[in-house]
Amino acid sequence: MIEFKNVSKVYNGGVKAIDNVNFKVENGEFVILIGPSGCGKTTLLRMVNQLEDISEGDIILNNTSVKQSNKIEMRRKIGYVIQSNGLFPNMTIEKNVMIVPDLLGWDRKKQQDRFNYLMELIGLHPDEYRKRYPHELSGGQQQRVGVARALAADPPVMLMDEPFGALDPIIRTKLQEEFLQIQKEVNKTILFVSHDIDEAVKMGDKVALLRGGKMMQYDYPSEILHHPANDFVSEFVGQDRVLKSTSLYSVKDLVDEVSLDSYHEADSAQPVNEDTSLRIVISKLLNQEADQLVVEDKQGNKKGKLTLELVEKFLHKEVKETPNR
Amino acid sequence: MQTIIDFFNYFSNNYSQILEYTVEHVQLVGLAIIISILIGVPLGIYLTTNEDLAGTVLQISSIMMTIPSIALFGIMIPILSTIGQGIGFLPALIALVLYSQLPIIRNTYTGINNVDPNIRDAAKGLGMTTMQRLLKVEIPNAMPLIMAGIRTATVLNIGIGAIAAYIGAGGLGSLINQGISRSNNTMVLVGAVVVSILAILVDYLLKYIEKRFTPKGIKN
Amino acid sequence: MMNKRISQIVKIAFWIIVIAFFAWTFANDLFRPIVEEFRTFTNLLIQHITIVLISGLLAIFLSIPLGIFVTREKFRKSEFWIVNIANLGQTIPSLAVLALAMGFLGIGIKAAIVALFIYSLLPILQNTIAGIQSVDENMKDAARGMGLTPAQILWQIELPNAASSIIAGIRTAIVINIGTAALAYLIGGGGLGAWIFTGIRLFDNSFLISGAVPVTLLAILIDYLFRLMQKLLVPKGLRLAEEAQKS
Repeated sequence: MIEFKNVSKVYNGGVKAIDNVNFKVENGEFVILIGPSGCGKTTLLRMVNQLEDISEGDIILNNTSVKQSNKIEMRRKIGYVIQSNGLFPNMTIEKNVMIVPDLLGWDRKKQQDRFNYLMELIGLHPDEYRKRYPHELSGGQQQRVGVARALAADPPVMLMDEPFGALDPIIRTKLQEEFLQIQKEVNKTILFVSHDIDEAVKMGDKVALLRGGKMMQYDYPSEILHHPANDFVSEFVGQDRVLKSTSLYSVKDLVDEVSLDSYHEADSAQPVNEDTSLRIVISKLLNQEADQLVVEDKQGNKKGKLTLELVEKFLHKEVKETPNR
Repeated sequence: MQTIIDFFNYFSNNYSQILEYTVEHVQLVGLAIIISILIGVPLGIYLTTNEDLAGTVLQISSIMMTIPSIALFGIMIPILSTIGQGIGFLPALIALVLYSQLPIIRNTYTGINNVDPNIRDAAKGLGMTTMQRLLKVEIPNAMPLIMAGIRTATVLNIGIGAIAAYIGAGGLGSLINQGISRSNNTMVLVGAVVVSILAILVDYLLKYIEKRFTPKGIKN
Repeated sequence: MMNKRISQIVKIAFWIIVIAFFAWTFANDLFRPIVEEFRTFTNLLIQHITIVLISGLLAIFLSIPLGIFVTREKFRKSEFWIVNIANLGQTIPSLAVLALAMGFLGIGIKAAIVALFIYSLLPILQNTIAGIQSVDENMKDAARGMGLTPAQILWQIELPNAASSIIAGIRTAIVINIGTAALAYLIGGGGLGAWIFTGIRLFDNSFLISGAVPVTLLAILIDYLFRLMQKLLVPKGLRLAEEAQKS
C-alpha cells in the first residue's frame, strides 16, 4: 500500500511543484498518474522512492514512512522502470535483469531460475538473450527487459515512469496488453506515470489526474470519463470521453445491464464474443459490417441481438448512474 | 621574489629582442597555418566524396600526429640536407604544416559529414548544384568545426614552433634555447612564459573568431 | 571503384615512402650508432622509458581519482574550474612546461619527471571527467532508483561506461609524454633526445636518425598498444553501443 499524506514539494524560491496531495494506492492496485507536462506527476512518482525529497507531508509505503526508511534498502524493494529503459550498456541482459538480486546476495541457482521465469514472462527466450547486450535488442525488447529487471527481486511495489512512452504506437499497444497480462499474474501495487488518457483508461484500476501539482480527481476511469470533477478534467479527457469509456466495458457488462433483442435463426448477423470491448462493437456496427451483432457466450450459445440503440441505452444508464464504490 | 624581479627586469631590458622573436614565431606559425588551410580544407571537403580515401588519409595523418615533433625534425634534417635545407626555416615550416593536417582535415571532413542529411536533402530538393550546396549549406554549417580544427592546429604549432628554434628557425624558443645553454634561468623563464601567453592568447582569439564565424542559427 | 583505386594508390605511396626512407637510412648506414654504442643506446632508451613511465603512472594515480572526485554531486562547482584549468594548461607548449620546471627545480631528471607528470595530468583528467559526464543521466537515475549505492553506481555503471574515454586520455598523455621526454635532455633529463640534439649540434645524420627513429617507433607502438587495450578493456556491450551509434 502507498499512502500520500499532505505531500508537498517546494523548490528553492518557493515554487510549489506538488501541492498538498492526498491519496491511497491499495495493495494490488494499478494506479495511473496523469496530467499535462509539468503537472508534477513524475516528481510525485520519484518522491516515493526518494529520488526527490519530500518538502512537507509524508508517503507511507507498506506502513513505513519513506522519509524514515533507509533509501538504498527501500529502493531495492521497489521495481523502477523509466521511459528510456535505463539498461546498462556495459552489462549483458542477464546481468542487467539480475542486478538487484545480485545486490541482495541471491545465489547463482536462484538467480538463474528467476531470470528464466522472468524472461518467459516477458516473452523472450532466456537462453537466446542471456549473453546478449542491450544494444543488440529492439526498443520494444529493451523495454520488456526493463520491466523484467524491475520485477527481478519480486518487489511488492512498482514505479513506472512512462515506460512505453518512447515506443511506436503498434509496439506500445502490444506492450500495454502484455503488461496487463503480466500484472494479472504478478499482482503488484503499481504507480504508473502516463500522459496519454487512452493508456490511462485502458490500463489503470484508478486514475489520478494532476494539474500544477494539485490533485484534480482521483477515481475509477469510468468515473473520470463520466463524471469529471471539474472543467479541467473534462477538457483533459476530451470531448469524446463517452466514446473513450466504451473501451472500459465488455459485451458482458452490457448484457448484465440491459436485455438483448431476441434472436431468430433467419436473421443475418455477425457473431460477437462476450469478452469483446464495446469500443470494437461500436466500430463494427458503424462500419456497416452489420447493423446488428449476435452475442455468443464461451460455449457458442447465441444469447441475443445487439444493436446501436442498445449500446446507447447502456451508456446512458452508466453515465447517469451514481458512482458505485 | 628575486625571480620575479629578475623576470621583469629582463623583460624590460630586452623588450625589443623579445618582440622580434615573437614576430618571428608568429610569422612561422602564421605561414604554416595558411598553407595548411589551403591544403587541409579542400582535401577534407574532397574526402567527404571518397570514403575509402578518407579512411586512409585520416589514418596516415593520425600516425603523423603520433610522431614526436623533435623526432620528426630529427628525421627531416638528414632528408632535407640532401637539398641543402637541413636546418632553418624550411624544415620547421614543413613540420608545422604536416602536424596541422590531421586537425584541419579531420574537422573539415567531420564537419561536412555531420551536416544533417535532411538539410542536404532539402538543398538538393531546392535544385541547388553540388557547388552551391557546398558553399551555401555545407561549409557554413561545418564552419564551427573547421575553425576549431584550425585553432587546435595553431595552438599546437605555437608549441612546436618553440622547439623549432633548436633547428635554427628562430622564434621564442630561442630564448629558452639560449637561456639553457647560458644557464640563465631568467631568460628560460621569460621564454617559457611569453610563448605560453602567446599560445593562450591565440587560443582565445581564435575561439572568439570561431564564435563570430558560427552562423547565428546554429549557435546554441 | 575509382575511389577505392585512389585510396589504394595513396596507401601504396605511403608505404613506398616509408620503405624508401628505411632503405636510404640503411644504405647510408645511419643506424651505425645503435650498433656501435649499443650499451649507450639501451641506457638512453631505458632512461627515456623510465621518465615516461614514472611521470605517467603518477599522473594516472592522481588524475583518475581527481576526475572521479570532481564529478561527485557535492563537488560539481569545482568541476567547472578544474575543466577550465585543464584546458588552459594544455594550451601551454611542452617546451615551456619543461623550461618552467627547470626554472624552478633546476637541471636534472627530477625536473623532467615533474614537468611530464604535470603535462600528462591534464589529458587524463579531462578525459576522465568527460567520460563520467557522458554517462547517460537516465541510466544513473535507473541505477539509483533500483537501490544501487553511490559506490556501486561508480564502479558498476560510471567507470565501465567511461573506460573508453579514460584509456584514450591515458593514451594521449603517454604518447605526448614520449615526445616530450625527448626534450627532457635539454634540462638534463637524459633519454633518447640526447642523440637527437647531439645530431643537430654536430650535423651528424647518423645520431639524428638513431635517436629520432626509435622515439618515433616507440610512440607509434605505444599508441597502437593502447588502442588495442582500449578494445580489450572496454565492455563488449559498450562497443556494440558505439557501433550502433555510428551506423
